[in-house]
This record gives sequence, structure tokens and C-alpha cells, in this order.
Amino acid sequence: MRELMGKPEEGTCEARLSDGLGKVIIDALVITLLCALAAVVVNRWGHPKGIPLVAPKAYEILVPCPEPGGVVTALGPGDARIAAKDTFRVDAREAGVFKAWHLSTAMNVTYDYLDPTPKDLIKRLAQRAASSRAQQVVVYGDGEDPDTGEQLGKELSGHGIKNVFFVRGGAPALRKAARP
Amino acid sequence: MSRFLLWRGHAMLALPARVYLGVIFIYASIHKIADPGTFALDVATYDLLPLVLVNAMAIIMPPIEFVAGVLIIVGWRTRAAGLLITAMMGIFVVAVSMALAKGLDTSCGCFASQAMEEDPITGLTVLRDVVWMLLGAYVVLFDRRPLGVDGFLMRRRENDAG
Repeated sequence: MRELMGKPEEGTCEARLSDGLGKVIIDALVITLLCALAAVVVNRWGHPKGIPLVAPKAYEILVPCPEPGGVVTALGPGDARIAAKDTFRVDAREAGVFKAWHLSTAMNVTYDYLDPTPKDLIKRLAQRAASSRAQQVVVYGDGEDPDTGEQLGKELSGHGIKNVFFVRGGAPALRKAARP
Repeated sequence: MSRFLLWRGHAMLALPARVYLGVIFIYASIHKIADPGTFALDVATYDLLPLVLVNAMAIIMPPIEFVAGVLIIVGWRTRAAGLLITAMMGIFVVAVSMALAKGLDTSCGCFASQAMEEDPITGLTVLRDVVWMLLGAYVVLFDRRPLGVDGFLMRRRENDAG
């Protein structure tokens, strides 16, 4: 249609809109190219934290464990790692009791003895842990024998998440330790 | 419509939008330029780009953000900077929307590599990005005589032409 009509008449609304837009696009492309070139050069030769232009291996959102899996370490309820900033906390109890009380920022993943934890839920947990830059995952459960926290911890570890701990005595022990 | 396009007040109206966008883009780019490795991890977490493009994106995009932010504030190549900002916001809107649709609970990675709890992606993140994209588009379409270096150069050219 534009070809049939030719150039928009000078001073019209269409002419004003198209005025200089081609130059704007060329300017934008030139800025992009120059920035890209400078960024690549600085990253390669001048940046103290430079990275390769192409990642040599896939980023590990789900961190693989070199062990066959299922290894969890017990922590006492007063262990400083439970409240540490770089800890990702997981509550293995049912949603109702989780709502009533849980550790700050804990994620609720209810452990079921009969059904395995859904894989997409474990993947979500791993992604949240990775994006929070956590160095370890601490799971706590109902503190019974067997303990849901320990069981979920083993399951997470078995799925390739490393540095998984569980709290001995679970939520009751944590609440007791929190009281003065 | 024609009168609206020709209105001289667009330059005054666009100025706060330009400064606002410029400050946001400069601020957002600094941590990404300083630590491209961490930003690359943020890009990878979105799970949208093939691996070969993740690092290139993390290296190239932040300097463009920074330069576009500076240019739109000083008013030199203002509309080109506005176009770059609009395009980048478009990319961010698509990326965040797709991450939300996939159900990814991840941090935005927009301003710093914060923990997910501090800077999660939500529908509000998409809405915010759309507003910023529209502000950029306003500069591109309507700020024809921007206050700043471009405006000064235009006036000088007109004076020289008599």
C-alpha cells in the first residue's frame, strides 16, 4: 500500500511519524555494535571477572552429586547453620502445621511416606535454592521416628542436591531451642 | 492527532521519563557489568536461551543498558537510546512472562543478584516492565526535539541555515 501511495506528504501526521525513524534505527544498531565490540574486548582482556564468550559447560541449576545419593547429615536444633544467611530451609511437615509455625523463609514441601515427592516440585526447590545462592539445604520435619525431615532430606540428596542436612528432633526441637 | 504529534510540550513531558529510565538502566547495568559470571547464571536460570548464547548475552547486554541509560539522560542520540531501551524492555517482558508461565520461582536478576525472596518475578514485574517499555516508546515516537545535546544541535543547525 505504501509503495502504491508513495512517500507521505510533507508536514502530515504520517510524515512526522516516519520522520528520521530510519536514522534512529541505524543509530541504535551502531550503538549496539560498538557496545558489543567494546564489551567483548574488555571482557576478554580487561575485566578481572571476565567469562568465556561461550560457556564451556551447562550451568548447573540442579547441582549433581558425585555420590549415589541419599546422604544427609544431622544437625542439632541449635546449630548456627540452620539460621545462616546462605542456608535454604525446607519444612517437610503438612501445610496446616507449616502455616501455624515455620522458620523464616522456609519452603513447604510436605513429605509423604506413600507417594514420592513430585519431580517438578523438587526441580522448583532446586531452582529456588540455586537462585537464592544457598550453600546448603536444611530440612526439618515432625521430629518423629522416623522423621519426615530426614526422609525428605534423603530424597532431595538422592535427586542430586548436595549439602543437604536435617534437623535432629525436627520442628518441635527447633521451637524448644528458640524459647528463652 | 497531527497537532498532538507536533506539540512542543513533548520535550518537557519526556524529560522526566528519560531521566527516570536512564537512572534505572544505569543502576541495573552496574552489578551486571561488574560480575558477568553471576549475571550469566541469572540468564541461565531463566532457561530460555541455548547455552552458546548465555555468556554472550551476559557480556554484551549490560554495556548496552549502561550506554543507552547515559545517552537518554544527556539527550544525545536520544531516540536511538529510547529505541534500545524499548527493545530491551520488550525482551525482558517476554523472558519474565515465559519464566512465569513455566512456573519458575526465580529471582528477577534485574537490579542485583538478589535471593529469590528479595526480588521474585511476579505479574507485577511484567507490569512494571511494560510501563517502562511504553515510556521508552513515548520517547522514540514523540520526543522529536529532545532537551539536551540533540536539541542544542538541532537549534544550531537551524540558526546556521538562517
